Amino acid sequence: MATEPSSAENHRVVESLAARLRRRQVVGSRETALETVFVLRQVVSKARFSNIDQLVEIIRSVGRKLVEAQPKEYTVGNTVRKVLHHIREEYHTASQGTTASSTPKPSFSIAKFVSQGQPRKQATPQKTSHETRGMLKENNPDDPDAFARTLKPVLMEAIQDVFDELETVYDNISKNAKDHIHSDEIILTIGKSSTVEAFLKSAAPYRKYTAIVADTAPSYSGQEMAQSLSSAGISTVLVPDSSIYALMSRINKVILGAHAILANGGMFAITGSLLVATAARAHSTPVVVCAGQFKLTPQWNLYHEYGALDFADPSSVLGFEEGDLVDKVDVVNPFYDYVRPEMIDAYVTNDGDHPPSSVYRLIKEAYDDEDYEL
Amino acid sequence: MDLNRALKIPDDVPSNSLDIWTTYQTILRKEEISTPLAAVLALTELVERSDAGTMFELVKALNDGAKVLNARTPNPIGLNAGCELFIAFVTLFPHDSDSFSDLKRELVKQGQKYATEAITYREKIAELALGFIKDDSVILTHSYSRVVMKTLLRAHERKRISVYVTEARPRGLGLRTYDELTAAGIPCTVVLDSAVSYVMDKVDFVLVGSEAVVESGGLINAVGSNQIAIIAKAANIPFYALAESYKFHRLFPLSQYDLPTHNPGILAFPLTSASSSPISLQNNNPSIRTANENASRPEQSRSMTHEQIACNPDVDYTRPDLITLVFSDVGSLTPEGVSQYLVGMFAG
Repeated sequence: MATEPSSAENHRVVESLAARLRRRQVVGSRETALETVFVLRQVVSKARFSNIDQLVEIIRSVGRKLVEAQPKEYTVGNTVRKVLHHIREEYHTASQGTTASSTPKPSFSIAKFVSQGQPRKQATPQKTSHETRGMLKENNPDDPDAFARTLKPVLMEAIQDVFDELETVYDNISKNAKDHIHSDEIILTIGKSSTVEAFLKSAAPYRKYTAIVADTAPSYSGQEMAQSLSSAGISTVLVPDSSIYALMSRINKVILGAHAILANGGMFAITGSLLVATAARAHSTPVVVCAGQFKLTPQWNLYHEYGALDFADPSSVLGFEEGDLVDKVDVVNPFYDYVRPEMIDAYVTNDGDHPPSSVYRLIKEAYDDEDYEL
Repeated sequence: MDLNRALKIPDDVPSNSLDIWTTYQTILRKEEISTPLAAVLALTELVERSDAGTMFELVKALNDGAKVLNARTPNPIGLNAGCELFIAFVTLFPHDSDSFSDLKRELVKQGQKYATEAITYREKIAELALGFIKDDSVILTHSYSRVVMKTLLRAHERKRISVYVTEARPRGLGLRTYDELTAAGIPCTVVLDSAVSYVMDKVDFVLVGSEAVVESGGLINAVGSNQIAIIAKAANIPFYALAESYKFHRLFPLSQYDLPTHNPGILAFPLTSASSSPISLQNNNPSIRTANENASRPEQSRSMTHEQIACNPDVDYTRPDLITLVFSDVGSLTPEGVSQYLVGMFAG
């Protein structure tokens, strides 16, 4: 590959993030997504390539490395897929000027006809009007960098789009919060999700409602959440996890955060979410999940495997101070629950509100099929 | 002139139609060709032989051909899906050929190309479904389906699987599945159709083929699929359907009785009054006689008469909410995804 001189630098950036992911120095879905975008931006700006396939392969290999470093942080892979999707899109618009005249009409076949039904985002007319168009030439033997040089500004813009989306994700999700939360409602949430936090806070000026926060053992992140909400002027009640079922009959709506949304419409979310969702189902209380689009993961949790979840430090369940016991029992602290799609009523995303059954469509729109396996 | 031509058409149609029916039958004789694909190929043949000079004539000839095929099969569902696909394709085909005969040649080429492509779809589906089959799975399947067989055999190469297959009365095709799986070395047990709920708790997931997948996302398949899906749902066990994309069918049945295969004879009550003796008395059909004799000797098995079987459906409709996923060559779809494809194909 033509990446020899710059690859050392790239290699360093990638390895550094991979190491931090592995050591859990970068955690949380948005945090890891942002870090991934930064790395990809650097990689693309330094990469040498003379056609689109080389570029895609460079990005993929970086993506593979990062995903292997921490397979439980699904947003890393998602961000890579998203960037690839945007880059391909930009490449196609940029190359239209040059190739449209040379390539014959797109071949039409019955198989293509069938796949017309495939959900695709309507190609929004590109606002960009780059002068680069028409000069794009791949595999130029005289000047192998010409392709990269002309395309790079567009690519940077594509990556910037992904970045901007991540930056504004909380605002975009919570802009409709007041349509979901009504006055005098009692809302239950669990854990501390920044998305849910922003969502609840943005409804506070318009609606007078009560938030009940489960304290979410063993991380007790619910306590932080309760503090944050009450300091924003929301009347907040902190309750132990064990009272969730008892309280459910009084709750109007459950609002949850997600770690990753899976292709079947189910999700991984902080432990306790399944308990809340099940209790909500028993009382037919609506369950709304707030999550950014970058959490859409083209994977299925097939067998609801225990190992598909992540395990946190068991010392918060049983610390070493209980020395006598530690020897005698195995202690695990699973960090996420898998919540089945049937238990969720709606996803509120930065791209509108969707039922779990159309998550697969959102995934098809957001990523290219060939990138599902990086 | 015009009048002459108009008068000629009725002559043309039967001669043509006879042809298309036998063509369809010969194509169908090939083991790996399913009904929708055979329909596409038969219509391709029709285009090749047709002397239509305009698009209107051609589409009319195709529609007539489809109608003939439809009228002559007892179960036209799969066939309709194929005809529908090909005719919609022909109507929407962007034609910039120089002459109409060029266009026809192009259409024929497309049809044949599709058929060769479509044969590989089962492999694609098997590959896709493989990711959903874990080691040591116990699978329940229903009747006989080529795509299910391919998937199971493929899974057997890399994973340990065992299969329960329903007998699938009245045609007993489950036994064929049993024979082929056992021959391949897959542990397999035939269960009674009536024992599905008994076996369900031992099963990891249900895998069925399909006759067609309809616009609601529901499934049309050999009778018994619906009850398996209901039991699977009750037991919280995933129900997967496998369907090649040419089986996507633009139909929206709201109940079992909306299926094109339903006719007044199905589930009809006999006209005889309660007091009159059973029909079998004046009938010397041996199977009926044994059935009657058996009434007095319960230790011997009873069996249904042909007349009784004729009152039963071949296929049934499974509601989309009972189906976990549909695996198809275009991807693994939720039932809603199927409707999306259908709308995209036929509304565009």
